[in-house]
Amino acid sequence: MKNRNNIFLSSLVAFSLVFWACSDNLEEIDGNPRNITQEQLEVDFQNVGSLYKPMFENIYQYTPVWSYQLQQNLNADIFSGYMTNPRPFVAGANNSTYNLVSGWNNFIWSVPYSNVMNNARTIENETKEEFPELFAVSQLLKVSAMHRVSDVFGPIVYTKFGASATTSEYDSQEEAYNAFFIDLEQAIMILSENIDSPRFTAFDLAYGGNYESWIKYANSLRLRLAIRISKINPAKAKAEGEKSLNHPIGVIEANSESFFINGTLDHPIKTINNSWGDIRMNASIESILVGYEDPRINSYFITSEVNEGEFKGIRNGLPLLPGYADELAQKADYVTFSLLSETVLSPRVQLMTAAEVFFLKAEAALRGWSGAGDVQANYEQGIVTSFDQYSISGAASYIGNNILTPKDYVDPVTTSNSTNALSTITIAWDNSASNEEKLERIITQKWIAMFPEGQEAWSEYRRTGYPKLFPVVSNQSGGVVDTDLQIRRIPFVDSELQTNPDGVSNAISKLGGADNAGTRLWWDVQGGNF
Amino acid sequence: MIFSAFFCLLIIDQAKAQERTISGTVTSKGANSTPLPGVNVIVQGTTKGVLTDFDGKYTIEASLGQILEFSYLGLKTTFRTIDNANEIDVAMEEDLEQLEDVVVTALGIQKSRKSLTYAAQDINAEELSKVKQTNPVNSLSGKISGVVVNRSSSGAGGSVKVTLRGNSSLGNNQPLYVVDGVPLSNPTGGQPNDTFGDINGGNKDGGDVLSLVNPDDIESLTVLKGASASALYGSAGLNGVILITTKKGRSGSFKVDFSSNLSVDSAAYFVELNDEAENNIDDFFNSGVTSITSLSASGGSENAQTYFSYSNTFASGILPTNDLKQHTINVRETAKFFDGVVTANASVLATTQTITNRPVSGLYFNPLVGAYNFDAAGERLIDYENFETFDPNRNIQSQRWFRATSDIEQNPYWILNRNASEDRNRKLLASMSLKFKIKDWISLQTRGTYDQTLLDYDKQVFATTDATLAPANGRYIFNEQDIRQLYGDVIATINKQFGEFTISANVGGSTTRTTIEILNADSGTNGGLQFANVFSIQNFNANPQVSIFQTSLDKKVNSVFASTTFGFNEKVFVDLTARNDWSSSLPSGSNSYFYPSVGVTGVLSEIFEMGDKISFAKIRGSYAEVGNDVPANTVFPERQILFGGGISPLDPVRPLGEVRPEQQKSYEIGTEWKFFDNRLGFDLGYYHTSTVDQYFQVPVSTGTGSVTVGVNSGDIINEGFEGAIYIVPLQTENFKWVSNINFATNRNEVKEISNPSDDVQIDNQVISAPGVNTFASYLVEGGSYGDIYAQVVKRDANGRPVVDSGAIVLNDENPDNTIAGLEKVGNANPDFTLGWNNSITYKKVSLDFLIDGKFGGETISMTEAIIEGLSNNSQRETTNETIEVVNLAGDPSTLTAQEYYGLAGGRNGFTGEYVYSATNIRLAELAIGYNFKLSESSFFRNIKASLIGNNLFFFYKDAPHDPNVSLSTGNALQGVDVLGLPSTRSWGLNMNLMF
Repeated sequence: MKNRNNIFLSSLVAFSLVFWACSDNLEEIDGNPRNITQEQLEVDFQNVGSLYKPMFENIYQYTPVWSYQLQQNLNADIFSGYMTNPRPFVAGANNSTYNLVSGWNNFIWSVPYSNVMNNARTIENETKEEFPELFAVSQLLKVSAMHRVSDVFGPIVYTKFGASATTSEYDSQEEAYNAFFIDLEQAIMILSENIDSPRFTAFDLAYGGNYESWIKYANSLRLRLAIRISKINPAKAKAEGEKSLNHPIGVIEANSESFFINGTLDHPIKTINNSWGDIRMNASIESILVGYEDPRINSYFITSEVNEGEFKGIRNGLPLLPGYADELAQKADYVTFSLLSETVLSPRVQLMTAAEVFFLKAEAALRGWSGAGDVQANYEQGIVTSFDQYSISGAASYIGNNILTPKDYVDPVTTSNSTNALSTITIAWDNSASNEEKLERIITQKWIAMFPEGQEAWSEYRRTGYPKLFPVVSNQSGGVVDTDLQIRRIPFVDSELQTNPDGVSNAISKLGGADNAGTRLWWDVQGGNF
Repeated sequence: MIFSAFFCLLIIDQAKAQERTISGTVTSKGANSTPLPGVNVIVQGTTKGVLTDFDGKYTIEASLGQILEFSYLGLKTTFRTIDNANEIDVAMEEDLEQLEDVVVTALGIQKSRKSLTYAAQDINAEELSKVKQTNPVNSLSGKISGVVVNRSSSGAGGSVKVTLRGNSSLGNNQPLYVVDGVPLSNPTGGQPNDTFGDINGGNKDGGDVLSLVNPDDIESLTVLKGASASALYGSAGLNGVILITTKKGRSGSFKVDFSSNLSVDSAAYFVELNDEAENNIDDFFNSGVTSITSLSASGGSENAQTYFSYSNTFASGILPTNDLKQHTINVRETAKFFDGVVTANASVLATTQTITNRPVSGLYFNPLVGAYNFDAAGERLIDYENFETFDPNRNIQSQRWFRATSDIEQNPYWILNRNASEDRNRKLLASMSLKFKIKDWISLQTRGTYDQTLLDYDKQVFATTDATLAPANGRYIFNEQDIRQLYGDVIATINKQFGEFTISANVGGSTTRTTIEILNADSGTNGGLQFANVFSIQNFNANPQVSIFQTSLDKKVNSVFASTTFGFNEKVFVDLTARNDWSSSLPSGSNSYFYPSVGVTGVLSEIFEMGDKISFAKIRGSYAEVGNDVPANTVFPERQILFGGGISPLDPVRPLGEVRPEQQKSYEIGTEWKFFDNRLGFDLGYYHTSTVDQYFQVPVSTGTGSVTVGVNSGDIINEGFEGAIYIVPLQTENFKWVSNINFATNRNEVKEISNPSDDVQIDNQVISAPGVNTFASYLVEGGSYGDIYAQVVKRDANGRPVVDSGAIVLNDENPDNTIAGLEKVGNANPDFTLGWNNSITYKKVSLDFLIDGKFGGETISMTEAIIEGLSNNSQRETTNETIEVVNLAGDPSTLTAQEYYGLAGGRNGFTGEYVYSATNIRLAELAIGYNFKLSESSFFRNIKASLIGNNLFFFYKDAPHDPNVSLSTGNALQGVDVLGLPSTRSWGLNMNLMF
């Protein structure tokens, strides 16, 4: 009996010990093997290479579509006069009526920080010493994304990004722009020294690894930013702009050199436009393109259902109009206005075109910068290049037209929204015109050429006041935004107010005005352009 | 294998000896001695058994030396060995302690109730089966003090949120479920956490493990409320433990129980609608039918017993097309070998469950949006039951609705038939234990359990569903979760007496390994399918906007523990426990955490002479500390690969400094008294818990390079009183009325959210994120867990709403209680809960009823807000009621209710207008039964039939919905109803046959 007991006892103990003996080491257990470790990432240098794609695809966010919708579509794309939302979201109390939805605007901030700044920092840490040209490209993408963020809010976190684990300090917009110029200068220098390096080819969604194209883009971007600060700091603007204009490799001059992201996803507006019916043509672009009988309209939009055979846009800032039970009933009518055309909604997302660069040069010439060439020649080449971009003929006769002007706007559904055209600016160059009129002509044509990239269009509208855009129908900003001056910026986002209150209050002092949508940014100087 | 073993064992012990007829009378002992009918008399170790007749008489065949066992519920089981006498009369003692004296405690250790140093309360099988619930945990509400049960709004098969002593954690607040001493994995297969709804299939309840258990297999449920009681379970038992003891085979006669329960459910509690809308809703909802049938058989010899059960549940919900089918099999085998030296126990539980169209809440994929808001002039909702129409351009059936569909509104019948979902859940729980009795005073036990839950979710969204939810060719969502838990332990048990001292000690170790594998495939809102309406993963478009991912979670906790109870002369008991855990989810430097508990109890009635009237009295007190780890993969996050989209750009969480285990410190004191031969008794306790060093994930400025950092911080206090009163107000020979009153209070305070020394200071922690809506819940210093924040209307001194320029003005007068424009308007949790449970028997008739009350707390009817925002279908919008308002200048004007609530309503409107008191008192359960006690010669031993009612009516309720229903059984979305399925009232019949 005793013997038998011992056998049982020992087998029991042995059995129990199995639990312990089979145990894996605790340290080896945690973790998700479906994720990727640093070691696995380093194969094929993906620890660096894989970081570029999200940067490319989040300057202007591809996916998820709703996130883009909030980042830009229901923001800059409507403020620029390009597009309008047919549905009066939140019963008309939304961004388009200046009743800003802070929950939407968070995405303008969070998308580039999460996807661009962070990756740029990792790339900097891993490549700056060993593969400086990879670092240089990343810097270019970083400036491409972050100047847009600064152009929305003003002060941003840039030079001190990642300096603390818990809070962050903002740069004033001037400090940020100074840093952009330094970063661009450095990137151009590094790329010029390594111009034949093939290392970036596999990761390049824009230029197939061609650093000469990248340098042209960098010079063009520097020119864009220089023009932007031409009112607030003309001397710095001229100095930076002339560096680009006189650089041996130069700026973008051909459509093949334009900065497009060859993404792997559909253009985000395609879903918003086609599937959701949440975006349509804006009344301002209808007025200008139809008034000018501009053939590019067929590449940008399709004719509407509401007025068959005609292009029809919607005024910005529609409230929930009288007579509509709800948002959806109102949308049901306005969704029949003009859709955007498939032509502009290819997976290639347009961020900077050769045409834009000619218009930048035209303005630079107008401002007397060396190396910019002739104002009129640049202006007309800009139009020709834009026509060429869409393989449209007839640029020559268009350029010569000195009769057509923007036309009055008629809303076929709600006639009270109809309004007269705001400008009589014509197309043909007039050398005898004032500088102000010349600039309106240049910016109006630049605005047409840059479609559908609303962010740059809205920035330039705020800087110059051109083209003249219809004001919102309903201004629900409570007096903060002047209806005629239109929206000047977006307030700092909730997530920052909540997580970084000290940083934001410091940023507000750097902004130099109240943290609201009526405050002008640093480069947004009131008064004439000259 | 198990079956053949079972039959073999039945046959072995049929030792035949010289049998003769034994007869006698069974009576109750005491002054009012009466004959006892229906007493179970069995010959131990055989299948032979009889019942006493109406006069308490029995006759049975038995042989010399055999033992007769007399058992009757509520009386002490009595044994008599057959000697030479042919007549054996038995007087059975009443045994009030039979069900109460021995309590199953942590790790399955049985303790006498008087030695407990903490609060523990249980309910037995009979109580559970009176008004049967598809999820047995629902039966606890009102029957055990301090148990707050919130049903999910997802109908049959839905999960249940149980809160014991308040919420304390941002992680899990639910108790641990333990079956026969072994912790169960309770994966709540995903819970809604978004007011708007999940665009990937709607806000869905994934069910829980208790919805997969057959309520008829449960012998008893014991609730250990505090950490002192559950300290031995370690961190998993932090929020208390619900111990489930399942039925075992009994030696003696072979018994078969059959029970059948059929009930009819109707939608009962929802927003008051106008007549047309009400008619439409009446057309829309069905009468639900739930049928639970179970069959169990048990029997065995002295050395081997078997229990087998099968049950099925068929339920069709009040939502058309919603149904549930469930089958459960349970086999349990207990055997003793070598003269009882070794006891082996093996059991297997297997369940399959299929649920079609489990109801969702929120706005996406919810048929209730279209059903509540239907207002097509001159048409009825039922006209759209024919939900599709042929589209010749695509050669396809397309959705038919009276207006353009939107992301939130589609034809409800289309959603039910063409956006249908199916949940397929399976559970296997296999366990084995071996107990080895080394000496009389020491034994060694080892147990192992394999617990696997498979949760499949399949949703097929047809072409022409609204474009926000699915692309042109439709959408397919498939999710598969495989959750496995392996548990093993070894425990040595010592029970020894030294004179007046007793010591009982348990020392052991355990290991728990939990692995979760998830596969999720979703063709997405943009990715799409190649061919319309073919639902398979190979039909996904090959683009990066479809989502396919796998996730694995793996966690292991090793533990050693010891507990001892020192007793002195059955008068004073001292309890000491200690446990140390090593968890793989914590960094290796700080993955070990130790926690002790200490408790003392004194049995006053043994220590002091208290007279006749006081039958029992004791006081108790205990203190415990429990540590807690963090979920797997929280501390060492890695980069995810995004299908077709490279890798995730950012570390999700970056721990700030070293991560420490969380800590909960608690103490409780209590006293228990019984009077007048146990006809009156009460138990009263006070508890206090403080949960510190929680692992908060704190959002930081994105300028830092991360989105959230992890910090150990916070101090959340819960304290309250719990009490139970037991009374037998009336008792005569034929009549008995037993009444139980349970009550509890809980006060919760967020004492500290951020330690002043922390690098990152937090103002609040989000429980329910506001998202794009105007409802939220935050933890804020000085506030309470479950605080509700809403958008509040500004009012003038006379309480009139301020409406200016056609818009309601937001209140700005309470900035200290406002976060991001939302103001604190209440708390989702009750302050006081009360249950009054009654059982009245008169001869063979019984009446049972339970009144369940919750007092305090608030709830928001987002449903009402949404109806008033999207349509004018609420009753008050249709009446001619007017509301006086003022503008900012103070000039009054009048708005119709329709105008006012049109402005206030909507999914993101002035939710402050939709806040109601959550206080409610209801008739939770009613059962009227008749017990046919049959004679021995009858084929049936016993037949019991009862008429049952569940959730019958409210004595008091303020909210339009049933506040006991919650959208989520997680932490989010408490105190808000966003288009949840209305709670139901049920009537049914229960039939119980015993062979």
